[in-house]
Amino acid sequence: MEFGSIEREIYVEAAPELVYDVVSSPEHLREWWPDDIELDPAPGGAGRMTFGRAGDPDAVVVPMTVVDAERPHRFSFRWAYEEGEVASSTNSYLATFEITPSGTGTLLRLTEIGFRERGWEAAVLEERYQQNVVGWAYYLPRLVSYAEGLVSPR
Amino acid sequence: MSTAVDDDLWSAVGDPTRRRMLDLLLADGRGTATTLSRHLPVTRQAIAKHLAVLDRAGLVRSTPAGRERLYEVDEAQLARAVAQLADVGAAWDARLRRIKRIAEAIQRSQAD
Repeated sequence: MEFGSIEREIYVEAAPELVYDVVSSPEHLREWWPDDIELDPAPGGAGRMTFGRAGDPDAVVVPMTVVDAERPHRFSFRWAYEEGEVASSTNSYLATFEITPSGTGTLLRLTEIGFRERGWEAAVLEERYQQNVVGWAYYLPRLVSYAEGLVSPR
Repeated sequence: MSTAVDDDLWSAVGDPTRRRMLDLLLADGRGTATTLSRHLPVTRQAIAKHLAVLDRAGLVRSTPAGRERLYEVDEAQLARAVAQLADVGAAWDARLRRIKRIAEAIQRSQAD
């Protein structure tokens, strides 16, 4: 079974404690992710993110459960499982923020794994594919017709 | 939010051998299990199974060619898979940029 991840890193010119609070507290989460959120940002704490206006029929509610909460080092949670289910490695994403002091600021590292325990390894290839998206769209039709003109099918 | 990914597509491209096969098919325009097996360290039978997975996900199309089938990449479906892969990472890139902006703004306001 493949078990891969998305990994990202960003440098933030702010103290680790502050960065921790921005990634974990509901008041800040609301500013950078869902439209609304209820969350107990402690280990085992449950939460719900709302995308769209609460009560609106188009609004999407996404449950989450906090796994690790060690201020200011690490905050991780499972999310995107079905409401009413218990978050586990087979039904959710595990997003982990790792926070380390760096220079006068903080290095924030995000890892996300586990779309039903598979497929995420593919995401590592994402960068390669992403680079190739434009390339393929542009070159592929030319390449194919060029190749067809040159080579007889094997 | 970009969590809605197509399961079949994900598992089809989630395998390194199958991605290598797609690369080979793109480079050559088309191929059979036999021609692909010349470039890959797996058996022709294994290649045939991988091709069946890619076929089910709609990533390749095939036509009969003698006793084999000739495969080519379905560009539209591949573009869709690529877009979904890019989506997940791009969504986090955007979130991280917002986190950075918010944290730095608070830090600056505290320094004042």
